[in-house]
Amino acid sequence: MKSAPFEHHEPETVAEAVSLLEALDEPTILAGGQSLVPMLRFRLANPDAVIDLNRIDELDYLEEADGMLRIGALARHVDIEESALIADRYGSFADAAPLVADPQIRNRGTIAGSVAQADPKGDWASVLLAHDGEVVARGPDGERVIPADEFFLLPYDTTLDENEMITELRVPTPLDREGSAYHKLKRKTGDYAMAGSAVRIVLDEEGTIETAGIGLTAVDITNVRATDAEESLVGERPSKEAFKQAGELAAEQSHPESDEHGDASYKERMVNVLTQRALADAAERAGLVVKRVTA
Amino acid sequence: MSTKDITLTVNGETHSLTVEPRMLLIHAIREELDLTGSHIGCDTGNCGACTVVKDGEAIKSCLTFAVQADGSEIETVEGMEDHPDADGGLHPIQEGFEQEHGLQCGYCTPGMIMAGKAILDENPNPTEEEIREGISGNLCRCTGYQNIVKSIQYASDKLDENGEVAAADGGRAETDGGFTCGVENCCGGTGFDHTGGDNE
Repeated sequence: MKSAPFEHHEPETVAEAVSLLEALDEPTILAGGQSLVPMLRFRLANPDAVIDLNRIDELDYLEEADGMLRIGALARHVDIEESALIADRYGSFADAAPLVADPQIRNRGTIAGSVAQADPKGDWASVLLAHDGEVVARGPDGERVIPADEFFLLPYDTTLDENEMITELRVPTPLDREGSAYHKLKRKTGDYAMAGSAVRIVLDEEGTIETAGIGLTAVDITNVRATDAEESLVGERPSKEAFKQAGELAAEQSHPESDEHGDASYKERMVNVLTQRALADAAERAGLVVKRVTA
Repeated sequence: MSTKDITLTVNGETHSLTVEPRMLLIHAIREELDLTGSHIGCDTGNCGACTVVKDGEAIKSCLTFAVQADGSEIETVEGMEDHPDADGGLHPIQEGFEQEHGLQCGYCTPGMIMAGKAILDENPNPTEEEIREGISGNLCRCTGYQNIVKSIQYASDKLDENGEVAAADGGRAETDGGFTCGVENCCGGTGFDHTGGDNE
């Protein structure tokens, strides 16, 4: 099926895009388009105007600056996948990128677009939640920084205003003794997650967990934090027992739906297992940071 | 109904088109340019039959509007025989599919070949696992992937041999008629740099 007709706008600056957002009647923003194009074609979305961000060079970046990893709205999944900086310092991002969709889609799809789409089965929102990330939005009144915790409302619905666009996602740069990881269960390449768990832990000098962030995929109406599991970890030393308890608490806080791929209790069990595995990887990575610092 | 004027360079040939913004790239390629090698399989971005190489990257042309490809260099299966590596015959990837029985019905083949080209352009000597990952966005419903993987391995080996011959020849691979596929470090024979790099 073809999309309904729409006007195609190609601003070259964020300022231009924001003016268009204000001037046009209910426009839709197109970044990678790997979800939006099929939605347009199935006429699940019927905007009169599409604001295509792909010519806005200032949004195409992936960098560390001022204590933050900054992901511009045009950074693609493949940019994360192939970045030496990510491979070196951001375990959860490095884990998640190659698990998103398939190679062709990762060449086009953007991380910010995936977050804006707010599909609770998307991976990046969980990673953002685990890292206490932020969404940077621009609208007619200027820039607004929205904590990831306050961003997701419902499936495909966020606290982004109608005349705002995401310009950047960001997470704090890793501390000493920090480790993160993402584990995901999917039936095959190209499928959304049946369940996923993103984990970030920071150890203090004695090796006790000082900070824990856990974001879960495909277990609720939005990506959610496993707050009980996070709390259970703080003050504990990384251990199988502590991780087992956290995994169980994460599963208890999950509300997945039964579907043709598995019933809810199976998915809860998977949340438990994936969380434990992610915690084990994160702890190992936090340990490696310790070694690197002392060497 | 609004239209836009765009320019697409497909397999080295530049075309000016007037299209509606809602026209998908695959429709522009098949219906406007009459290059029907690239197929529409699922029409939902799952099957990869519509895979083309855009500015050096494999993409699904059913998930991109033609207006988004304005100014791009597109490679489709029709361009493979004119590629310098084809040496006047079939491209080594096409030859691989013939030699290794990499197709039955052939519907997925144009997409597989272009996905295979993107794999080998980035990494001339992929492992089996890397090939399988590289074609993981392409579905074959006839038989399975064993012979498709072998076909791409065949091409990798063949291109290696050609490279060695060219290297023995003084390091200059012969190219015909100054054809460039538009991708940096792609058609330069043995000087291909596949070190990758960061994306900052």
